Amino acid sequence: MGILGLSKLIADIAPQAVKEMEIKNYFGRKVAIDASMSLYQFLIAVRSEGAQLTSVDGETTSHLMGTFYRTIRLVENGIKPVYVFDGKPPDMKSHQLNKRAERREEAEKELQKATESGDTASIEKFNRRLVKVTKQHGEEARQLLKLMGVPVVEAPCEAEAQCAQLVKAGKVYAVATEDMDALTFGADVLLRHLTFSEARKMPVQEFHLNHVLSGLELNHKEFIDLCILLGCDYCGSIRGIGPKRAIELIKQHRSIEQVLHNIDTKKYQPPENWDFENARRLFVEPEVADAKDIELKWCDPDEEGLVKFLCGDKQFNEERVRNGAKKLMKARTGTTQGRLDGFFKVLSTTPNPKRKAEEEKKNANKKAKTGGGRGRKPK
Amino acid sequence: MFEARLLRSSILKKVLEAIKDLLTQATFDCDDNGIQLQAMDNSHVSLVSLTLRADGFDKYRCDRNISMGMNLGSMSKILKCAGDKDTVTMKAQDNADTVTFVFESPNQEKVSDYEMKLMNLDLEHLGIPETEYSCTIRMPSAEFARICRDLSQFGESMVISCTKEGVKFSASGDIGSANVKLAQTASIDKEEEAVVIEMDEPVTLTFACQYLNYFTKATSLSPQVQLSMSADVPLVVEYRIPDIGHIRYYLAPKIEEDDS
Repeated sequence: MGILGLSKLIADIAPQAVKEMEIKNYFGRKVAIDASMSLYQFLIAVRSEGAQLTSVDGETTSHLMGTFYRTIRLVENGIKPVYVFDGKPPDMKSHQLNKRAERREEAEKELQKATESGDTASIEKFNRRLVKVTKQHGEEARQLLKLMGVPVVEAPCEAEAQCAQLVKAGKVYAVATEDMDALTFGADVLLRHLTFSEARKMPVQEFHLNHVLSGLELNHKEFIDLCILLGCDYCGSIRGIGPKRAIELIKQHRSIEQVLHNIDTKKYQPPENWDFENARRLFVEPEVADAKDIELKWCDPDEEGLVKFLCGDKQFNEERVRNGAKKLMKARTGTTQGRLDGFFKVLSTTPNPKRKAEEEKKNANKKAKTGGGRGRKPK
Repeated sequence: MFEARLLRSSILKKVLEAIKDLLTQATFDCDDNGIQLQAMDNSHVSLVSLTLRADGFDKYRCDRNISMGMNLGSMSKILKCAGDKDTVTMKAQDNADTVTFVFESPNQEKVSDYEMKLMNLDLEHLGIPETEYSCTIRMPSAEFARICRDLSQFGESMVISCTKEGVKFSASGDIGSANVKLAQTASIDKEEEAVVIEMDEPVTLTFACQYLNYFTKATSLSPQVQLSMSADVPLVVEYRIPDIGHIRYYLAPKIEEDDS
């Protein structure tokens, strides 16, 4: 689920840390994609007339459709995607997972009610809430990606943490996910909306961790504490402290321990047995495979294999699958465009010289006012 | 107070035509010496470096160094309102958040002014190292524009290779392949039409046609263009703007895949 309200907080306090980019600017970049997140996205979004796409036997194929075409779109834009799959969830997430299970049950009940009363809008709404990425979905997606020649990485635990590890080790340029916790795990660059459909015309949002930190005036450790206060997947947060309060408190006290020490814990009750220390540890030293041992290799797509896998039972159009395979093949040949960043050195970044000037002006005005006030009195 | 006056607005118009397809916004840095602009396109493949020297202006005054972030699309719209023979004056107060363009017709009968909002831009300044290039090619700018246009029909990228015999531009794609060879001009009667090659070492590099076609928008600024190349460094395409400065484009070469 990520960090509650973090993206909004960043947009409010450190807008310079978010850049809107076009997908074509990422040519030649290797990007780690959080697979379960994108599969979920596809299951929700790739539908025809509100229903998921299915094979002859009624098995869902939305995730395959999404994975196939959106990956092709990335590859056509010169991006080299790596899909990272989740391993076992950490024990601390069980609480969150239980909550999710409860919510599903609720949705199921609501769905039944809606079906009885024939309320189509609610039926669709609750149907979507019931969407779950199953093991089989994952398996099929892995098989498809292999046929497409796209590398797959198995994370021992959380996929976001593994993605962040790949970025930190310089194996990939960025993490593509909608969840903000990749930043908490220390990924330098996070891309949102990268796997969205082209039709939505959403620009890709690029978050830079160092700009986020400098914009919020925090170091990485403090940032992790902030994320825990905002609400993460691993433990509860203090009731009554929203994003605004959270950033104020962390800026003032610099750690959760100090925050707890200084606030009125009767008014703001921390959850019982609040295990923020372990949550923090999960962010600092998550269980990940060493990036050094991971070899990323992009291969030629297996056209016949793709046709065999996707057409027939899964009812994909053979011509379109073959076309897709050709597109993948075409993107593999030829040269990549270089970038200037490697050749020239950044001398200085002028962060909004005007904004600074405005601040100076404000200060100057204040001084002028107080000065004027004093000047008037003797008269 | 900043004020810069040009007798012919056409220079500024052409400069803008030459950069507005590559950049959507850019900062004009003004100081005693003149106006400088340096910016990369969004994908960081090319860089534009523009210099307009103070002495090239009819009148130039810059009391305090100022940086003006401008939306180049808006600026281009404003400059389209000027006649080619109009005088143009750019004006801004210190710390202002707008810039004013004043156009005066040659007979002083029509005076129009346009005010434009400035932008808060966050820009990186890149240090461009002094480089000795293995090859420099000077050739008529119209010829270069023509070659780029012609070859871009054949493929997305173009190979420029410079040897003792001359310079060869080539492209290939689905419809076939194209090669254009230029030899050094034997006798230089008109300097503007000459092809001059200085070479220490032969160089072959591949570039994206799309960007070269953006660069050749500057063709009308100068009769000659100079290409400088060395192995594995960006290409420099320079147009000298007579009497006032130059515009330089840097373009990162395409590289062979190593690991994939």
